[in-house]
Amino acid sequence: MTSHPFLSGAGAGAALLVFASAAAAPAQTDHVGVELVSETTALVPGHSATLGLRFVHEPHWHTYWINPGDSGLATKLSWKLPPDFRAGEILWPVPQRFDVGGLFNFGYSGEALLPVQIDIPASAKAGAAVQLAVEARWLVCREECIPGKATLTLDLPLAAEAATDPRWQAAFATARAARPQPGQWTGAARERGDRIEVTLAGSHNDAELPSSPTLDAFVVQRQVVAYAPPQISHGAKVLELSFAKSEYFTDAPATLDLLLVDGVPPNMRAWNVHAPLTPAKPSP
Amino acid sequence: MNFRSTVFALLVACSISAPAMAKVAVGEPAPDFSLTDSNGKTQTLSQYKGKIVVLEWNNPECPFVGKHYGSGNMQRQQADATAAGVIWLTINSGAAGKQGDLDGAGANAYIVKVGAKQTAYLLDPAGSAGHLYGARTTPHMYVIDQQGVLRYMGGIDSIASTDKDDLAKATQFVPQVLAELKTGKPVSVSTSQPYGCGVKYGS
Repeated sequence: MTSHPFLSGAGAGAALLVFASAAAAPAQTDHVGVELVSETTALVPGHSATLGLRFVHEPHWHTYWINPGDSGLATKLSWKLPPDFRAGEILWPVPQRFDVGGLFNFGYSGEALLPVQIDIPASAKAGAAVQLAVEARWLVCREECIPGKATLTLDLPLAAEAATDPRWQAAFATARAARPQPGQWTGAARERGDRIEVTLAGSHNDAELPSSPTLDAFVVQRQVVAYAPPQISHGAKVLELSFAKSEYFTDAPATLDLLLVDGVPPNMRAWNVHAPLTPAKPSP
Repeated sequence: MNFRSTVFALLVACSISAPAMAKVAVGEPAPDFSLTDSNGKTQTLSQYKGKIVVLEWNNPECPFVGKHYGSGNMQRQQADATAAGVIWLTINSGAAGKQGDLDGAGANAYIVKVGAKQTAYLLDPAGSAGHLYGARTTPHMYVIDQQGVLRYMGGIDSIASTDKDDLAKATQFVPQVLAELKTGKPVSVSTSQPYGCGVKYGS
């Protein structure tokens, strides 16, 4: 599918900016608009900045998380940066779960921002301007799916200090609030028959295990668990999650990366847990 | 196994009752099914016992299916396999009214349009064969040997994308499995992550 990039107007906020960054060029493609935005109005040499891929989906359309679930494709980014600049991986916000006739997908709808940290080398010279470019590829689906691709660019000045860009402040704040926190519990996973069972136990500080009935959990690694919601039960200072094993399970990864999610935005809490995975004992 | 979702799920679109997805497994007998093909003829897996059978889940409007048909990759695999005596059954489990669902005439028109070379195109609007096999994506591929044992299930190839340029670099799993079965070698890749659009089961 071809994208149809067009230059946006600089927007009402631009007149307020001391450093007038060149307008980003958002791509309005089938059912989703995609834009490269920066949290700050300038980049500071020797520091990190946060950029973001801002998706605005048409109602009922969604794009995908790092593990898209039973179908779909995760959004992928390929950066073209000035010399010695480095881009990190996507800092995925907690996804939504979509139930499509008993198959499950994980992803984003409405307005969603995927943050990425950019490291600016100390050798970059304040006073100059740089162009950051990214080729974004995604799959946007409602019932049917449409692959999308766009090359997005953003020109930013290098400066000794950088101010927050008010246009995107709320979007970055929402994305940050939707980042999972490191879970303070001890996680352990084991393969048992056709289930993968995970136990989360309270830490030394007795960090409270969530007890809410609206808990859900997602696994980052593919081909380990099936994607229906796990059965969750509470013991004394212990949370047990039982997932069906994926039919495509081959080798157990050493660690399962789990997202535990309680509630929905704006009252959502989410945690990352790393659970070493004990494979089933091989039968003699 | 019942994969019925629990109350704890955070659901964007609620499904009242999802039929159970059965589990098939490599090394196990492949379950039998009975479906009508695009010419109104009944087709079962068991009638092909003694032959190698490939199952291909299809939705003509899915861009992943489009990648493999638009490039000629799927038709070539179908032609090579059927020329060697393999039975290739394309299955559409799209529910009536869902994207890509076809009747017999529509399926035959599609076959002519893309030059497809399968043995038969099977219609599964109730999703029974799809659920029996746990078909999740289009395409989703299965290979069953002459003894009726499932020997491969999963993705069509090793690079999950909609981009035809990836075909040159990807491993095509079905021809690889068929070649290994023919020469009696062990199957080197018996499962891979299926990728594609979700099968459009009725809700």
